[in-house]
Amino acid sequence: MGEGYKPGSREDFDLLYRTAYPRVYRTLSAILSDPEAAEDCAQDAFVQAFQAWKRWRPDAPAEAWIHRIAVNRAISYRRSAKLRSIGEVLRRLGSPGPGVDPADAATRPDLLTALRSLPPKLSAAIVLRHYHGYNNREIAAALGVSERTVGSRLQQAGERLRAVLDSPFSLEQPSAFSSEDREYYVED
Amino acid sequence: MSKTERDPLGPGFGWRLRSELDRVQPRFSTPRYLNPTKIHAWRLAPAALALALTGFLGLTAYAATGSANPAVWTERIVTVVHPVPPTPTPEVTPTPPQPKAAPAPKASAEPTERPEPTSRPAPTASPEPRESPEPGDEGSGSDSNDAFPTPTPTPGDH
Repeated sequence: MGEGYKPGSREDFDLLYRTAYPRVYRTLSAILSDPEAAEDCAQDAFVQAFQAWKRWRPDAPAEAWIHRIAVNRAISYRRSAKLRSIGEVLRRLGSPGPGVDPADAATRPDLLTALRSLPPKLSAAIVLRHYHGYNNREIAAALGVSERTVGSRLQQAGERLRAVLDSPFSLEQPSAFSSEDREYYVED
Repeated sequence: MSKTERDPLGPGFGWRLRSELDRVQPRFSTPRYLNPTKIHAWRLAPAALALALTGFLGLTAYAATGSANPAVWTERIVTVVHPVPPTPTPEVTPTPPQPKAAPAPKASAEPTERPEPTSRPAPTASPEPRESPEPGDEGSGSDSNDAFPTPTPTPGDH
């Protein structure tokens, strides 16, 4: 709070873009494995925010508001990408999969790969807490959920992330059929 | 941070995450919100579709009427649509095969009032009516064929 942004002010939105875009992009890069998709979603989020900038109310941090739009955009992207990947798997049924490029796996950060294997809402909660330093209230504002749900998600995300990182196969790419159903149990 | 829970990922997790995410450098492309054409392009799709439809209809009307004046198109529509109401009337449609018989039903409907139907079947149908009225009317002049001009005035008068 106390950012001093005025709703509808073009200069303030430009300032918000300059300060928040890199942070939003990094959040999305922990959710989406494709850098171009992360950039697309971040840009789309700012477009959507710019259209609603006059209606923005400073009762929550502007960056949390942008994060909320961006994370929702990333969730939609992952959902559509999942559908595409299912179609791709069905199309390649019977033929050997592409597998993991060892060189790629060696250079790819292990932690980011593990984060991307989580459901987007969980990985977003982790990044907002441990990278951006948001508290539960700010995370709740950024994700559009209650603070209780935030605590539950953080705990669940921590357990799942630790399980992935402790696994000897943690360098593998996330499965196209990674289960995201557990995240629905923690929603209000 | 009062509600933060105990970190299940260990104390070094935050530092590790920061070091990895700091390596991710966003590409500073032109902000997309500054480009209004891309923002509003898909929103104008319905208007563009309506415009294209209107143009197509205009071209079709122009091709059909040969005139670029919309007033002519409406006239053409009126002339095309207007003849339709008279055609569905059931009285007119059966008449085309009966224009010759049209007087006949009228005559058959009014046989008792007017003498015309009685006079007309007389010349067309058979010689019997001719024979019967002629001798009946003239009485004495039955044996001469010179009475041929005489029936023309008499049936018309009666």
